[in-house]
Amino acid sequence: MRKLISPDELARDDRFERADMLERISDPRNAQPTDAAAQRRAGRLTPDRDDAPDAARALMHGIFVGEIQALEGAGRTCYDFEVGKGDEDVPFELKLDMARQCWDEARHCEISVKLSDWMGTEIGEFSENTFLFQAACNPDPVLRLTGVNRALEGLAIDVFNTMREFGDLAGDPVLEFCEDWMLADEVTHVKMGSDWLRRITANDKERQKKALEFQRVVDKLFSFGGFRGEEDENPVQLARRFRELAGFDDDEMTEIAELSKEARLEAEEQGRLAREAAATAKG
Amino acid sequence: MTTTVEPAEFTIVHFDAGRIAALSDELADAVGLDGVDIRIEVDETALLGHTDLASIDPILIRTESGALEDPKKLRHFSEVHATDVLGRHLLRARDRRDADFGDPPADEELSLPHRVAWEVHTVGRLAQKGYPAQRQRWLYSFRNRHGFTDDADQAFETLWSSERLTWAQISTLSDETATKNPGRLDRKPS
Repeated sequence: MRKLISPDELARDDRFERADMLERISDPRNAQPTDAAAQRRAGRLTPDRDDAPDAARALMHGIFVGEIQALEGAGRTCYDFEVGKGDEDVPFELKLDMARQCWDEARHCEISVKLSDWMGTEIGEFSENTFLFQAACNPDPVLRLTGVNRALEGLAIDVFNTMREFGDLAGDPVLEFCEDWMLADEVTHVKMGSDWLRRITANDKERQKKALEFQRVVDKLFSFGGFRGEEDENPVQLARRFRELAGFDDDEMTEIAELSKEARLEAEEQGRLAREAAATAKG
Repeated sequence: MTTTVEPAEFTIVHFDAGRIAALSDELADAVGLDGVDIRIEVDETALLGHTDLASIDPILIRTESGALEDPKKLRHFSEVHATDVLGRHLLRARDRRDADFGDPPADEELSLPHRVAWEVHTVGRLAQKGYPAQRQRWLYSFRNRHGFTDDADQAFETLWSSERLTWAQISTLSDETATKNPGRLDRKPS
């Protein structure tokens, strides 16, 4: 069996459609002016939003494909590295943690499928992007674990907490219950990432710095131009309490909030430049 | 009855104005709209999915391109989504033009539960005519506005499967169900 497979090689049946990220980024409609009404529609995910049930369905489908990739990523981490003490090796106990995570992610896939049924979404109704698995392709096990277990599973904490609160406010006992249980697992996964980062890099501060830098890159990328943050217009809110339980300190969480704000401002600036370019082209 | 689509030629999204007009004509015929001009304005610069029924005489539907788009194929037209969006607006236009239906408030004054109840009744009628409809999606939407209860599910069933309800029947059903909505779960740690 080959090691370090690429995201293109992930096995999917014909219900799934891969999103073309280049096409998504270069979509001329991204240059549309953001008016107040559009911002409100795309704001914090709460049941009083007009499009709330459909927005929750779309987010749930994103969670579902994310769970598949998280399972694939943790599985690869079990297999891609040998047990040992070198930089490209990992302790046996780390593999055990990844095996436990596979078990959790497989259960999350099943829960997500059931939740999608409950919410009226078909498998593959929305396209899939493979950002998550791409972060799980890093050949350095510490960087991979930091990018996936701290940055991406950290995002999962924020997403699950948002969905759990959505279920609570809407009075949806099924959604609230499922998200609460998955959230508990995500806290454990992030804690694994925090613990292994500390243990493996205890005597290698340079490697720890590099891993945390990779985490920052992934965190910013996954803020999706302001999708996650602490402002009212962010659909997904930073879940400070649960991140704290998973080993994040206050400074780290403030930094993530700042990165998200930065990502949002950059996206707005890109939109402004694109509008100017479109206006110039029109003459 | 003729549908005109604006713009006549799309340059940003891969939509065909002729196909949209033909679909609209077919749907208008199916829902019983006779002798009325229909205009559909698509904002192809907007990727979101907001739509509204701006006028009923003549019928004017305004939509952002995201509402008619295939969620799996960026900027490509989705027959299923367009049928859902146009069908709902055309049926609501027909309801509003029918004196027997009653006199619902203007769209911007409709409460969310009332609007969703009416939407369920329109999609249900489209389903009865053989058009594709995501029943569970609409049940979820209805539960979100009326409660996750057996009463809400029963009310949904009435709205979904009835042939023709009046505005008074729809709004009363919605109000009665909403009063039984237990609302927020507010679970406390045990």
